[in-house]
Amino acid sequence: MQILLRAAVIVLPLAYLLVAVDYGFVFFAAEPRAQRAATPALRATILLHLGYLLGLAAGSRQFPAATESQALSMVAFAVAVVYAYVEWHGRERSTGFWLVSLVFFFQLLASVLTHPETPDRAIFHDPFFALHVSLALLGYAAFAVAAAYAFLFLQLYRDLKAGRFSTFYGKLPPLAVLERMMLVALTAGFVSLTGAVVTGALWAERLYPSDWLHDPKILATLITWAIYGLALLLRRLRRWQGRQTALASLAGLGTILFSLVAVNLFLSGFHAFH
Amino acid sequence: MPGADDPRDPPVPGDPGVAGAADRGAAGISGAAGVSGVSRAPGAPGAPRTPRAPGAPAAADRAAAADPQPAGAGAASGGDGGPSLLLLGIDFHSAPVELRERVAYGQDDAEKLLVHLLARSAIAEALLLSTCNRTEVVLQPRDEEEAYRAALDLVFLARAPELERPGLLYVKRHHAAARHLLAVACGLESMVLGEPEILGQVKQAAVLAEAVGAAGPVLRRLLRGALAAGRRARQETAIAAGAVSFGYAVVELARNIFRGLEDCRVLLIGAGEISRAVARNLVERGARELRVANRSPERARQFQEEFPQAAALPFDQRLLAIPEADLVIASTGADEPVITRPQLAAAMDARRGRPLLVVDLGVPRNVEPDAGRLENVFLHSLDSLDHLIQRNLKRRKEEVPRVEEILDQEVAHFHGWYRGLRAEPLIALLQKRAERIRRQELAQALPHFPESSHERLEQLTRSLVRKILHHPSNRLRGRGGEEHLPRLDLVRELFRLDDADDLAGLEGADRPDEPADRDDRARRDEIGGPAGPTGRRGAE
Repeated sequence: MQILLRAAVIVLPLAYLLVAVDYGFVFFAAEPRAQRAATPALRATILLHLGYLLGLAAGSRQFPAATESQALSMVAFAVAVVYAYVEWHGRERSTGFWLVSLVFFFQLLASVLTHPETPDRAIFHDPFFALHVSLALLGYAAFAVAAAYAFLFLQLYRDLKAGRFSTFYGKLPPLAVLERMMLVALTAGFVSLTGAVVTGALWAERLYPSDWLHDPKILATLITWAIYGLALLLRRLRRWQGRQTALASLAGLGTILFSLVAVNLFLSGFHAFH
Repeated sequence: MPGADDPRDPPVPGDPGVAGAADRGAAGISGAAGVSGVSRAPGAPGAPRTPRAPGAPAAADRAAAADPQPAGAGAASGGDGGPSLLLLGIDFHSAPVELRERVAYGQDDAEKLLVHLLARSAIAEALLLSTCNRTEVVLQPRDEEEAYRAALDLVFLARAPELERPGLLYVKRHHAAARHLLAVACGLESMVLGEPEILGQVKQAAVLAEAVGAAGPVLRRLLRGALAAGRRARQETAIAAGAVSFGYAVVELARNIFRGLEDCRVLLIGAGEISRAVARNLVERGARELRVANRSPERARQFQEEFPQAAALPFDQRLLAIPEADLVIASTGADEPVITRPQLAAAMDARRGRPLLVVDLGVPRNVEPDAGRLENVFLHSLDSLDHLIQRNLKRRKEEVPRVEEILDQEVAHFHGWYRGLRAEPLIALLQKRAERIRRQELAQALPHFPESSHERLEQLTRSLVRKILHHPSNRLRGRGGEEHLPRLDLVRELFRLDDADDLAGLEGADRPDEPADRDDRARRDEIGGPAGPTGRRGAE
């Protein structure tokens, strides 16, 4: 089992890289063979990824988010599943290259940060932990998807505004659809992250009655939550349009990466994966 | 016979005077004296055939009854693995519009012309493609020279004798003719590269040829390949992607911003010809809600006659209509901008920042260029539309090699089909010979075996013959995509399939290996007659 899991750590980012390259051929060259291969290849890789996560869970008998590597891999998996659903639902492959590239990036980071030892602490066996972490990772995955759509929105917006018509023009869904997908993903992410913050607060109050607000991870998460909340509020009030919301979405992704990686690596606190 | 563009095509004996072989345009007819029958009026010689009644036999069937070398299974070979084909035509490259319009045929004229062409014994099948940019006739000839002369006289010279001048008319033969028709269907020969209408026009030409009875098995199969190539080119490549006209460029821009034109509210400022052209494109692609603001009420009324769904506004109310619009088209002859930046900013406030596409088609410009800097305002002028069109044309040109790959594949399929068609009688003879030998040998051997084993021996020998012939039969039919196929004449000689005495003995023998493939049955049905195992019809 351990050998298979170690092999998956190498194979998974490679598989996502190949799938991303395939979607690249779909996007840039409209290559028919690549179009036929893309969806089956993605689904097969998602199944492999699911097997890897189940293997991790079975091996440690706990929710597979005990290390930053496992958390990143969970985010990668969630983004891949969300994209596979969007593609199946909308019969739309033009955003695949960008989203699968994002998945590859997360999984590569996860593989690089893999630690041979998985900590075994009592809280990892608590169902409340699984709920809290699941909501947080689901939120992060939704924000990552929103950021990908935000990036594409900004590219197309720039093309249409300047009349330059770069390689993005004509290959993407219209601006209105990209904005809608971005807003749906942002809303879903914000709801999930709110749930994670609330469950985390209740749980922390029980386990760490004092000073839990000083944990760097919680501070970073609250900043992320505030950025997304403000962006959604201003968009709702029509004070912001698509472009500003898209920029905020990209800024939010930056704080998520900071929260997921930098806080855990360089700062200490009870959220750190040590 | 004019020179063909394919250097492999040998000159036709008795060519009435053609400038040397060259590509389009250069292959003109030189020397009017060499072109006989110029004065023949269409239909004058011979009795013209009447259009085919439902259920009446097709051209090839009639030809088969009258001609020992019928079309279809026995269609003359082009010498390059495909059937004999002849294409004569003019297009926008080769001839000016003054000549093209004279040889442009409407539906009724085209129908009559096809009937007259078929009245010539030299022509087995015919197709006429006549559009504003080209008139082409494709023939499956029994006699190439006669067919050429007939088509030249009836289709071209009868209406425009000037086409005798060199360089105006092009002629393609066999492989080149087949490939040209497929290229036309794919839009590679169109004035606007990849334009989609041509595929529909080829389809109409095919329907007409079918209705008149001018399409036989060869042209029918060629047209099927042309339509398939045209569809594939548009589905598998970007040869038809992107707008290449101003009207459609506006549609394309709108489609990149909004969900669909159906819910897009359009405001047209100016009701001139440019506005109408754009409105036509928008309405054809789904726009339903149109408002037009024009200084002259008379022009606005004329606009409404063409677009009854459009609501007319007084010109001075144009700014009030912007907050409700998604797409504004400005094309007035005003010397000053009819929409300024402050006016548009106020309108954007009123529409709470929703995206607005503004297309300025006026010269001088109708919208202040600075207005394009406003958030969510997408302002495009004639220059940016032209930039978009040039970009799309460049992308289409880049797709040409991929379309040519499709052409090669479809032409190869066509030739493969034709080869299979010609091989079928030979395969039947081969199978009959083997069956005859099997029966003879079995008849000699059976008395030496107990009666209980006779049925088993019968099965065994049948199976042996079937398995031995299976691979050669498939190779002869050209299956498997091999480039170098066995020569039919060599097979005929090797197995003595021309031996009259032997062949006489084959009558009545059963085929041991009935093709299980539906294509084979369909192929025999398609050639419309008993070109099957017993006859020598279609033999080389």
